[in-house]
Amino acid sequence: MDDMLQVHNADKPVIFGIRHLSPAGAWHLRGLLDKIMPELVLVEGPSDFSEEIVCLPDKNTKPPVAIMAYTSEPPVRTILYPFARYSPEYQAVLWAYENHKECRFIDLPSGIFLALSGCEGSDEDTGEEKWAVYDKLSGLSGDGSHETFWERTLEHSSDFAGYWKGAEVFGKNLRALTAGQDSSYAETVVREAYMKRQIKEALDLGIPPEKIVVVTGAYHVEGLENGTPPLSDEELKELPCVETQKTLMPYSYYRLSSRSGYGAGNKAPAYYELLWEGFQRGEASYAARSYLSRLAAWQRKNGNIVSSAEVIEATRLSFALAGLRGYKLPALRDLRDAAVTCMGHGKLGEIAMAVADTEIGTTIGFLPQGTSRTSIQNDFYRQLDELNLKRYFSVTADDLRLDLREKLGVKSQKAAFMDLERSFFLHRLRVLGISFVSFNPGHQDRATWAENWVLRWTPEAEIEIVEAQLKGDTVLLAAAFQMKEEAENGGSIASVAKIIEQSFLCGMPETASYATSILQKIAVDAASVEEIAETARQLSLVIQYGSIRKISSEPLVPILNQLFLRACLLLPGCCICDDNASHGLVQSIGILNETAVCHEFLPSERWVNVMKEIADRDDLNTKVSGYAAAVLLERGELSNEELELKVERRLSKGVPADLGAGWFEGFSMKNRYALITRTSLWKSLDKYLDTLDDEEFKRALLFLRRAFADFTSADKDAIAENLGEIWHLDTQEIPVEEEGLSQESQVMLDELDDFDFGDI
Amino acid sequence: MATKIKVQRLPAEQMFQKEINALIAAEKDPVPTGWKMSPRSVLTYITGGKAGKTIITPKYIGNRRLVEIAIATLVTDRALLLIGEPGTAKSWLSEHLSAAINGDSTKVIQGTAGTTEEQIRYSWNYAMLVSQGPSPEAMLKSPVYNAMETGTIARIEEISRCASEVQDALISILSEKRIAVPELGFEVPAKKGFSVIATANTRDKGVNEMSAALKRRFNIVVLPAPADLESEMDIVKTRVEQLSENLDLNSELPEQEVVEKVCTIFRELRMGETLDGKQKLKTTTGVLSTAEAISLLANSMALAGSFGNGVITDYDLAAGLQGAIVKDEEKDSLAWKEYLENILKKRGLKWAGLYKECKELNE
Repeated sequence: MDDMLQVHNADKPVIFGIRHLSPAGAWHLRGLLDKIMPELVLVEGPSDFSEEIVCLPDKNTKPPVAIMAYTSEPPVRTILYPFARYSPEYQAVLWAYENHKECRFIDLPSGIFLALSGCEGSDEDTGEEKWAVYDKLSGLSGDGSHETFWERTLEHSSDFAGYWKGAEVFGKNLRALTAGQDSSYAETVVREAYMKRQIKEALDLGIPPEKIVVVTGAYHVEGLENGTPPLSDEELKELPCVETQKTLMPYSYYRLSSRSGYGAGNKAPAYYELLWEGFQRGEASYAARSYLSRLAAWQRKNGNIVSSAEVIEATRLSFALAGLRGYKLPALRDLRDAAVTCMGHGKLGEIAMAVADTEIGTTIGFLPQGTSRTSIQNDFYRQLDELNLKRYFSVTADDLRLDLREKLGVKSQKAAFMDLERSFFLHRLRVLGISFVSFNPGHQDRATWAENWVLRWTPEAEIEIVEAQLKGDTVLLAAAFQMKEEAENGGSIASVAKIIEQSFLCGMPETASYATSILQKIAVDAASVEEIAETARQLSLVIQYGSIRKISSEPLVPILNQLFLRACLLLPGCCICDDNASHGLVQSIGILNETAVCHEFLPSERWVNVMKEIADRDDLNTKVSGYAAAVLLERGELSNEELELKVERRLSKGVPADLGAGWFEGFSMKNRYALITRTSLWKSLDKYLDTLDDEEFKRALLFLRRAFADFTSADKDAIAENLGEIWHLDTQEIPVEEEGLSQESQVMLDELDDFDFGDI
Repeated sequence: MATKIKVQRLPAEQMFQKEINALIAAEKDPVPTGWKMSPRSVLTYITGGKAGKTIITPKYIGNRRLVEIAIATLVTDRALLLIGEPGTAKSWLSEHLSAAINGDSTKVIQGTAGTTEEQIRYSWNYAMLVSQGPSPEAMLKSPVYNAMETGTIARIEEISRCASEVQDALISILSEKRIAVPELGFEVPAKKGFSVIATANTRDKGVNEMSAALKRRFNIVVLPAPADLESEMDIVKTRVEQLSENLDLNSELPEQEVVEKVCTIFRELRMGETLDGKQKLKTTTGVLSTAEAISLLANSMALAGSFGNGVITDYDLAAGLQGAIVKDEEKDSLAWKEYLENILKKRGLKWAGLYKECKELNE
């Protein structure tokens, strides 16, 4: 290290180029700081956050934490700086605190940063050209990933000079390759000029240059060292600036791993923490050994046998894999491949959960109480204001009735759809499980434009909102995240269809289309007709009533088509079932039929053919067959002759009583008025019953009783009249047994009481 | 290649003698004991590259990383088990690995239901045994025995087809690394460099399930089906060309479009999703391996050559597809019909003919 420092020009501050979230960088940085003992440590980070820095070394603060700035005005844009324990920036702050030295952030203030990134053509940290370079690097490294290249060349370097030089060379080359072409290059230049200005200010205060250490991304080292002047006062004034809010928030390794992009994310935070521990222990192979042992421990804890021998073999293999490329230490890639080969029997799937736990982990950061209000809280209160919902902000429960239709006669577009916007907002809160709102479905089926809500504020709701911060920075983003998660873990197609419905209620078409794609994926394995029917019902509702919410439901059409087709293909096979199952099937057929009627795009011809097949086949459950016939009758696909033929055939002597009556039960579940008026039907039924002997009649009775159970008494009267006509009785002349039953009838009824219906 | 002997097939090390020699000549890295070349050269031999001025043809087109893992396994003198669906080049890879490492790929045991323990260890020349009593001369050494003596690699094909007692015979060999010959009262220790490459078929799972004890002695590498459409089409085209020469099929070679159609349908049904990944599909009970695609095309050529005008039509293709895909009437035909209606029907004009023919077969 001494050699390195001697070469360094003593007139200038020491600039240490790092890679963000780099354990080796953090370790070597601490070494450098201990050596130089600078008076001032300058860190790349928004300079208006200098106040928040003090919270970082607090003994109650547990990384990962993030500092975040977001615009006060919508659309809300955010910049986020996550810090893990092994972030060089975090260690720099910590070192300064421990050694009672000063530490400052020197990058552009968040207001300017956000204003610049709101401009066209720039986006936070990386331009596409830079990515192209990374891709090229990935190809050249032979590992197929620049992450692995970084890890091998920098993170494994236990040598200070190696890291410093390596990072510097890399940063310079990257710069040379992208300078000028990079769309965010202009922003980079401004940022560096501002950082120079900050360094100059420090020097002007009289701090000797050799007592200042600047910690910055390797990419910026050259920009800070070259001769271009620092940002002047006039230039600074000309920069755009927006009002921002700042906050510190707990972060999690999971979120760290799911963010992509140089500097912002880190695919395997828990593994990188092992690297950091390795540096602290001074054992280069610590991370490799720990990784494999932890993986094995996780497997064992979850009931999978992993022997120590396998761990040893995996370790040997990982070192051999690294050796094949000429490296001494295995990188994460080698470790994982070795674990798959030796512990997972060649399949990543077998150890995927253990890999996720060992690489990502479940660590969640913690911040002491009293830190500032989160962005989602701000967003919540802002919307409450905007949507005129402030008055519901009380501990007593208030009703809120919404009319989602466009209000005519109001001036602004906003007022016209105020209730719709409110509904979106409340539904989003509902998705997030925030107890402020509760939804009262009420008469949802009748009027899709009316909604009833009950609003009640509690302190718990506040906590819930803060917790929702982890899901997203605004109510909208958090709700989107929540639904995305639920859709991914949904499992059954009906539950994913529910999410689609929800996202329509929330007015979030992107989430809806994402959930739709998931639905399509899992729909392939859906085998039960009941499930498909339920899903089809939900989708059909959304398609029918989506327009009230001003969202196009067009993307749902193909998937409903697919599900419907599958139901058509599956249905005949499912109808070979017992009576218990037939109940659900009949319901499903009813739902599918309604869906087919509602939407012209569904293949109704195919549906009718399926119904015909079910109605015609004799080997299926007769109740379902009967119901299919009823569907056909309702759709006008069954002529009188056909119907009579069918009834005759189904209710003929040869057919066992329970099958015949079962068919009738199914058949009579639909279009009752049409049935009642058809005398021919009752004639056939009468004839059929006459052919049965006593024992058969008793069996048939069960089904007939059930069939007629939910007919209204008026229906029953009408049927009785029909039968009376058939039996040539004058309705006027029939004695009505009002005053008690005749003895004869009483005996018959008593006998029936003894009859055990359960036996059948 | 240069030899004009009328052999149907030469072992890998003879076929690629030149490349192996070139690699040995250009060696720069350290060579492990018992190996002919360094691990890195073995990698070049398998995945292609250059040795000095000689171009090394790629032997295994596919995931390079898997080859690395396989070689690293052998470097750590662990045994290697290659697992995969039928037709994923397991034996091919194992043959070339031993050819490159030892220059000898012929120490093979073909695992069958009839393989005995003696074939793994050693047996006797009984005439000699009876006349002279047990002696080293009367011994018939197995390929594994030979490999141990010479410190080279033995190959065992289709290990999961062997009975479990035969598989178990391997356990002691792999852990003790020696074979005891009690009849002669000595033990043969394995020389450095000895290892075993075994292959097993995933579709044989449950036939003679490998014991946990044996599995533990192998590093397992699972070989996948070809990674993308282009490489699969390449493989299919080359093999169909070779086949049609051998079999005199009297038909023109299938056009690019036909190969593409077959490979697309096979890949999509095999992976259970469309190539663009936008739609998931039901998979079928059959493997639908690359090898099957090859035989389907050869079949269609035979159909077209013998009964048609010598050009493969959609009609020929539909018949072949029906037979290849619908193996289990109930399940497969449901999946196939769904595929036809949801995917093929919507693929536009190019596919319309094929869709029509397939649909007619399913009416």
